[in-house]
Amino acid sequence: MDSAEIINAKDKSLEHLRTIHGDDAETLIADARYGFISGLVKDILKKPATERVTATDRIDQLMLNRWLGIPLFLLILYGVFQFTFVVSTPLIDLINSGLGWLAERVPGIASGWLGSLLADGIIGGVGAVLSFIPVIFLLYVALSILEDTGYLARAAFVMDRLMHRIGLHGRSFVTLILGFGCSVPAIMSSRTIENPKDRLVTILVTPLMSCGARLPVYALLAAAFFTAFQGLVVFSMYAIGIIMAILLAWLFRSRLVPGESGHFVMELPPYRLPTITGVLAHVWERGWAFLSRAGTIIFCAVIVIWLLDYFNVLENIGRAIAPIFSTAGFGQWQPTVALIFGVLAKETVVGAFGTLFAGAEGVGGFGSVIGAELGWTPLVAFAFMVMILLYIPCVATLSTIKRETGSWKWTFFTIVYTLALGWIVATLIYQVGSLLL
Amino acid sequence: MKEITIALAGNPNSGKTTVFNNLTGSRQHVGNWPGVTVEKKEGRCTFKGHRIRVVDLPGVYSLTAYSLDEVVARDYVVDERPDVVVDVVDASNLERNLYLAIQFLEMGANLVIALNMMDVAQARGYQINVEELSHLLGSPVVPMVAARNQGTNALLETVVSVATGETRVQGINIQYGHDVEAEIAKLEQLISTNSLAQQYSPRWLAVKLLEEDKEIIEKIKRV
Repeated sequence: MDSAEIINAKDKSLEHLRTIHGDDAETLIADARYGFISGLVKDILKKPATERVTATDRIDQLMLNRWLGIPLFLLILYGVFQFTFVVSTPLIDLINSGLGWLAERVPGIASGWLGSLLADGIIGGVGAVLSFIPVIFLLYVALSILEDTGYLARAAFVMDRLMHRIGLHGRSFVTLILGFGCSVPAIMSSRTIENPKDRLVTILVTPLMSCGARLPVYALLAAAFFTAFQGLVVFSMYAIGIIMAILLAWLFRSRLVPGESGHFVMELPPYRLPTITGVLAHVWERGWAFLSRAGTIIFCAVIVIWLLDYFNVLENIGRAIAPIFSTAGFGQWQPTVALIFGVLAKETVVGAFGTLFAGAEGVGGFGSVIGAELGWTPLVAFAFMVMILLYIPCVATLSTIKRETGSWKWTFFTIVYTLALGWIVATLIYQVGSLLL
Repeated sequence: MKEITIALAGNPNSGKTTVFNNLTGSRQHVGNWPGVTVEKKEGRCTFKGHRIRVVDLPGVYSLTAYSLDEVVARDYVVDERPDVVVDVVDASNLERNLYLAIQFLEMGANLVIALNMMDVAQARGYQINVEELSHLLGSPVVPMVAARNQGTNALLETVVSVATGETRVQGINIQYGHDVEAEIAKLEQLISTNSLAQQYSPRWLAVKLLEEDKEIIEKIKRV
């Protein structure tokens, strides 16, 4: 029989099956195979009675529940941020008073430009970043526990259905969740995604997930502007990140690189009690990158910011670009400068604010000064946090995107689309918020 | 005597590499599969006077056309027709591992199942009825602990016996349900008069068509 006729007949058969079952034939066939296997295994395999309904099975009945799965995931995520903030706040205060004590000693050691460099630049800038060590390490502790217990695999599993709707699958979500820690290893983890188009789209949207380096910025601003709702405000940043990543993944997958997406088994490893050494090892792996960045790239960036500020150049640079951001409410030179240097590493935003505002009210307390100095309302602070979340990923992430996609085109595309997205969403929030509030 | 060719298949982490090393020792050759950057390992051994060539297929969970590894594994078995396909199955994770095994059987491959990690399964208190498994799958099953090099000789014995036609692989006939079966029958009939049917089993082609397998659809279009 000739080929065209066979293909025709196939299309008719598929159409027919779809009308009867509402599912495509591929699913029906896979179901038949799984049915065959579970029947077969019931016949030939005896598991010990204790394992027939394992603890894993029982927990999964709840965690993977069709209706409760996603709300539970969001609840757990919210719990993570509450935990992180409640436990870290006293520790941050402690570090800040230590830094304040140090800064007070500076005039006794050095004065003039050196005193300013030490007090405003080093202690104000780098110290400000370092003061957020507790919040970052606690976030990593929470993420490691979720990963080591096997819960992250469940989160990916419950999102699988939704991910299929947007043209990706659960494994992409694993990459996105890893992005909560740091985009660099997350993007590298996308290598497990077999379909090249799925992988590309996953890489492009991973920077929208809020990484650990952005947390100090949120922590600083949330403490200054949203005292009562810190945890909720920070959680909303993570939620906006997830929503944007999913929305853009859908957009890219349907417009930019249309085509079939891959199918594969979502693994569900059994739940395990995490070991302390395991969690600590993971925390250290992730946290070390933060510490070494504070000592190198952020240290250098802060000195450059201090230099430019000391010679009164910084303000001019900031003022030249600032008007672009006036639609979003933060069209002043200081946040503009912070955004520019934030591309080096997102924590630098805190370092920049620290250098620029530290003199105003001692180290640590400068968060509260931002509102007064810049005349920001909580709405502006929120729009700025969203900008920090969405705009251009840091250079380390960009170079990883270049390496993994092997393409300058996609790297530049990421820069352009994230900047546009950040500006649009921040502007929308500020404009709509101004109308409502 | 003709050289026997074994294709070694299995899920990632099933101990396939260990089985490959046990079979071939140091007589291995690493290259690439033609046209793609997927690593291809080959090795040789002799057993009771039979020369045996072992071709290591990429570790896969399934045989769809969705990933390069799966296409490489499938094409090798379909196009090169190795004398025996050995599927290394993790006995402590039967459900998932058997998904690959039954797809080989659907293809009509001469399948031998190397039921590996029997020690892990036993430690968990699993009782596996190996004989019944072999019976239900219509294919020989050899229990092994590759990590301790147990069962290698039994596996070679079985492979030779299948390759020489002494043992026959019956295979399975999965029923896909009334509605799907009806469509398979229609397509099978159309395909049986196509020249591709000389190379592939018409039923397998029909199933692949319904799965909208890109590769097979292309093959049919090219005829």
